[in-house]
Amino acid sequence: MQRAGSPPESTGPDQGRVSRRALLGTGWCGFLLSIVGPAVANIRFLFPNVVYEGPTLLKVGRPEDYAPGTIMVLEEQRLFIIRDPEGFRALSAICTHLRCTTGPFVQPNAQWKESHSRCPCHGSVFAKDGRVLQGPAPRPLDFYRVSLAPDGRLIVDTAAIVAKGDVLKV
Amino acid sequence: MRNGWTSGILDRVTASQPWKSVFRHGYPATELDRMATMFTNFFLHLLPAKVHPNSLRLTYTWALGMVTFYLTAILFVTGFLLMFFYIPATDWAYRNMKDLQFAVSFGLLLRNMHRWAAHGMVALVFLHMCRVFYTASYRPPREFNWVLGVLLWLLTLGLSFTGYLLPWDQLAFWAITVGTSIASYPPWIGETLRVLMLGGQQVGQGALLRFYVLHVAILPAVLGVLVAIHFWRVRKDGGLSRPEGASPAAVSSPGAEGRFVPGPQKTYALMEVVQGTTPMATTQAPEEEVPTWPQLLFRLLVLFQLVLGVIVLLGIFFDAPLEELANPTHPPNPAKAPWYFLGLQELVSYSALVGGVVVPGLLVLGLMSIPYVDRAVKGEGIWFTSAQGKRIALWSFLGTIPFTLGLLYLNTRFGLRRFFPDATQGVVDLLNPATLLLVGIAAFSIIVGRCTHSRRMAAIALFSSYVSGYVLLMVIGTFFRGPNWDWVWPW
Repeated sequence: MQRAGSPPESTGPDQGRVSRRALLGTGWCGFLLSIVGPAVANIRFLFPNVVYEGPTLLKVGRPEDYAPGTIMVLEEQRLFIIRDPEGFRALSAICTHLRCTTGPFVQPNAQWKESHSRCPCHGSVFAKDGRVLQGPAPRPLDFYRVSLAPDGRLIVDTAAIVAKGDVLKV
Repeated sequence: MRNGWTSGILDRVTASQPWKSVFRHGYPATELDRMATMFTNFFLHLLPAKVHPNSLRLTYTWALGMVTFYLTAILFVTGFLLMFFYIPATDWAYRNMKDLQFAVSFGLLLRNMHRWAAHGMVALVFLHMCRVFYTASYRPPREFNWVLGVLLWLLTLGLSFTGYLLPWDQLAFWAITVGTSIASYPPWIGETLRVLMLGGQQVGQGALLRFYVLHVAILPAVLGVLVAIHFWRVRKDGGLSRPEGASPAAVSSPGAEGRFVPGPQKTYALMEVVQGTTPMATTQAPEEEVPTWPQLLFRLLVLFQLVLGVIVLLGIFFDAPLEELANPTHPPNPAKAPWYFLGLQELVSYSALVGGVVVPGLLVLGLMSIPYVDRAVKGEGIWFTSAQGKRIALWSFLGTIPFTLGLLYLNTRFGLRRFFPDATQGVVDLLNPATLLLVGIAAFSIIVGRCTHSRRMAAIALFSSYVSGYVLLMVIGTFFRGPNWDWVWPW
């Protein structure tokens, strides 16, 4: 801003000095930074870098522990081990709606023509292949990768979600 | 009584300089002294020096805001005490609860009082909001105080939620699991939000500690600040809203009996700067007002005794429930939230995204925007505004019941997935009872507004319908939902 009658900024005694606008601008920017910077740091602080949570690799016993054609519930690990003629699958028992543990599979009845599992919290119903038969669950139950450890035991990796056709043949 | 030797000591003490340095006023015997006392005392200066008798009418405010404040005070005191026996660790929390129940003197009573005061607060904040809404007390200049009130309601719910997580019983564990999972539904930020709340990926020690800090430090601090602003604005916006008209004859100044000495025959009013550029007396007719001391103070004292008495009695006769120790592998069946969240749980049982995030978010925004939609300036202080308003409120409340029940029936009988097993989630989310209820009620309120040419009437229809819908869902969640969230009869 140049007032009428005042000398142009490039000449006169002000030459080479920092303009009022630049000084104030820097000051305000610094002020803003002093608030935003710590705020961002504080938010970052709340996200832990190390957590002490359970492992995602679970040893679930030997293949011969599971009779062919059965679905076993592993309560502690919150999953189902399905053994059918094709091999082994690990189906998550964590409801995809709001993470309650869905119940054990029960026989077909008048309402549902296939064996199904019901979630106690909000009534979602799942089929053996994870499909949602009813209720608020937005997607099918997850399948986890099953592999064999060198010692011959089954290993389920709850961090690795696989397609439902992914089978461990034993 | 005044002429024994004790009164001599009393007089000398109260006349001494140390006493006077603490209490700047003596016993206020005249009206002028009483007003000066209200003005110079830190605690009393929150209250006006004089109040209009219409603000004192019990049937106008039902004292709901003040009772809420008292419950908050009880919660702070009992909460501070409970903290002495509580360690927010997953190994300890549940055992601490058992200790409070069986090993700590008055531990059970304090925990019970804390719980009943909390439940009472949830109910009374809501009823207070209903009172303010139905008397149109959100009108200018009180619009923003209404918004603050809505925030205080949310804070109350947040404090309740973080509070019932702390015992680390089954209710606590599965409430954290479900609650933080709802928080993970908003697109983009959801998962981050969940990690932020849990302090990790799993529900455990990190989550318990975070909710504890929220419950005993952060949320109470925010609550305190907002309550202070809420009260301050009540004063600055000209005191409680009140109906116009003659004051009830019941409020009369106490006579000259007792220690009251009639002051000079004059009327006093304190000038206060309220809205506007020039100082303006808060009332135009101060001679109609009565001194706060003793008219309001006495009522407040009696009210506090009443509230405290009720909470203590509830604490003595009804024990706060404690479920089994948290079991991370199995939710109880059914896994039910406390009563005030059961309507929400019912909504979430149709769709987590819509019922848990979209609908509650829209409702809160809708509530906050009421004073900016109904912008009329006059006509506050009358319940339901007019006979027409009363009719609309009643019929909206009643009419929502069959509408909601119809939607629930359709959903149960002809659920979308039953006929279209492959329907995409978007469609399922969109066509669920929660969305249809929201849209139906909004449309109804617009129609009411068009027919009556009044935004106030539209607001009454909207508010009443939503209250009715939520209360109905709460009743359904409480009594008509059983294992696996199936329909059951309550008997």
